[in-house]
Amino acid sequence: MTANNTSNISFTVNGEKFNNVNVPSRQHLADYLRSQGLTGTHLGCEQGACGACTIEMDGKAVRSCLVLASQANGSDLKTVEGFDDQMMEQVKQSFLKHNAFQCGFCSPGMLMTTKEILLSKKKLTRDEIRSEISGNYCRCTGYQSIVDAIEECINEIN
Amino acid sequence: MKAADFSYHEATNIQDAINIKAKDEEAVILAGGQSLLPALNMRLSSPSCLIDISKISGLDDIKIDGDYLFIGALATHSHVMKNELVLKRMPCLIDILKMVAHPAIRNKGTHGGSIAYGDPAAELPALAVATNAEIIVSGQNGDRSIHAKDFYLGLFETAINQDEIVIGIKYPLLKQEQAILFEEVCRRHGDYAMAGLIANVNKIGNKVNDLSLVYFATGDKPDSADKTAKLYLENGYDYSNLKNSLNSEIDFAGDLNSSSEMKLHLATILIKKVLNKLEA
Ligand SMILES: Cc1cc2nc3c(=O)[nH]c(=O)nc-3n(C[C@H](O)[C@H](O)[C@H](O)COP(=O)(O)OP(=O)(O)OC[C@H]3O[C@@H](n4cnc5c(N)ncnc54)[C@H](O)[C@@H]3O)c2cc1C
Ligand code: FES
Ligand code: FES
Repeated sequence: MTANNTSNISFTVNGEKFNNVNVPSRQHLADYLRSQGLTGTHLGCEQGACGACTIEMDGKAVRSCLVLASQANGSDLKTVEGFDDQMMEQVKQSFLKHNAFQCGFCSPGMLMTTKEILLSKKKLTRDEIRSEISGNYCRCTGYQSIVDAIEECINEIN
Repeated sequence: MKAADFSYHEATNIQDAINIKAKDEEAVILAGGQSLLPALNMRLSSPSCLIDISKISGLDDIKIDGDYLFIGALATHSHVMKNELVLKRMPCLIDILKMVAHPAIRNKGTHGGSIAYGDPAAELPALAVATNAEIIVSGQNGDRSIHAKDFYLGLFETAINQDEIVIGIKYPLLKQEQAILFEEVCRRHGDYAMAGLIANVNKIGNKVNDLSLVYFATGDKPDSADKTAKLYLENGYDYSNLKNSLNSEIDFAGDLNSSSEMKLHLATILIKKVLNKLEA
């Protein structure tokens, strides 16, 4: 089906301005970002269950498959490509060290969820870490190594 | 999958949203999108137009309104969980919302969306029924208030008219001797429950002297079990008696994760699990 309905929107992604772009009304944000070469945002289920598409929208983690591109008008977005500050560099090193990246499909979403955990400044136990990442599926690691990495980040960064 | 084509309208105020909805029968409200967009992506429905109300200001207030705690329709689950008034006056809501989906979904999903959608497996509609909450809707003829127990009519079917939108929910403030207890069984933290129970308890010390039970994820809407609650008050916890009573009172509907027999069993043991919390 071709989309007849479009919206004209402006927003920022990883500090870069996108002004007056036309998007099909039915297009979700993940598809729009991927169409712009930002393929670090992964799509698994497109129904909110897997978490691979999790990005930052105005400072909060959201599912980019469950936000329309049109709804991003005026927003400040950050995707895994923009996770280059000192804290996120340290998080990535910790994931590498603990072998928490395997195929990498879940990684962008896991990194985003880790970022939100660290920004909340909460000292989580391992069980609490598991519950915080319960919305992100990983089919490779068995989660143990991801929990190890996040635990280390909480101890070292916060 | 991808959603079918629709037009998108960002509503500037409530009246604007009501006007469009009144004119176009196939237009639907978009709030947090955390239930609607999965349904559209899976092509379970294909509306003509989405009326985005998420940017209307002033619809996410949380405040005391007389004898009620008022939660604006657009308050997100995350926002409600961090709210001081909720923590002081209705802390059970925070425990309940912890079981609703996952953090990134709670950052978008709204209180009003969950109430209006009327998913039989969702926690908040059952809470609204169990606490005798009022659902405030606004339409072409102004505002009206609907008792939660009259709001849920059947599977995803509510008493909302075509031109109306939910603007907030009013929960009666809890009394000293009252407790709202909650428990659910699910396969994975954040998943929809296989069966869940909200109990509204009136107690003296740890002794229960009045009780109402409302289930979710058991039938086609929040299921009140008044006869069973009465039986419990008379005879205490007796598994087979309560199970028989629940079986006659609720039309259990099995799903992919649990058969109707299993839901009946879970509903029975949930009574014990929930009331054990009084002693904790
Ligand atoms: C993976 C996943 C797991 C989830 N798990 C749970 C769970 O365990 N328990 C649970 O309760 N929920 C769960 N949810 C759903 C979540 O809580 C939603 O946020 C909520 O059900 C709907 O709120 P929303 O604001 O996103 O509504 P939307 O998706 O925007 O709308 C839902 C429906 O309600 C209508 N609507 C929305 N707001 C209004 C309004 N103000 N007035 C009139 N109509 C309105 C819309 O037209 C639509 O039909 C889950 C969602 C996902 C994706
Ligand atoms: S693709 Fe968005 S949650 Fe799975
Ligand atoms: S590393 Fe492969 S899915 Fe997580």
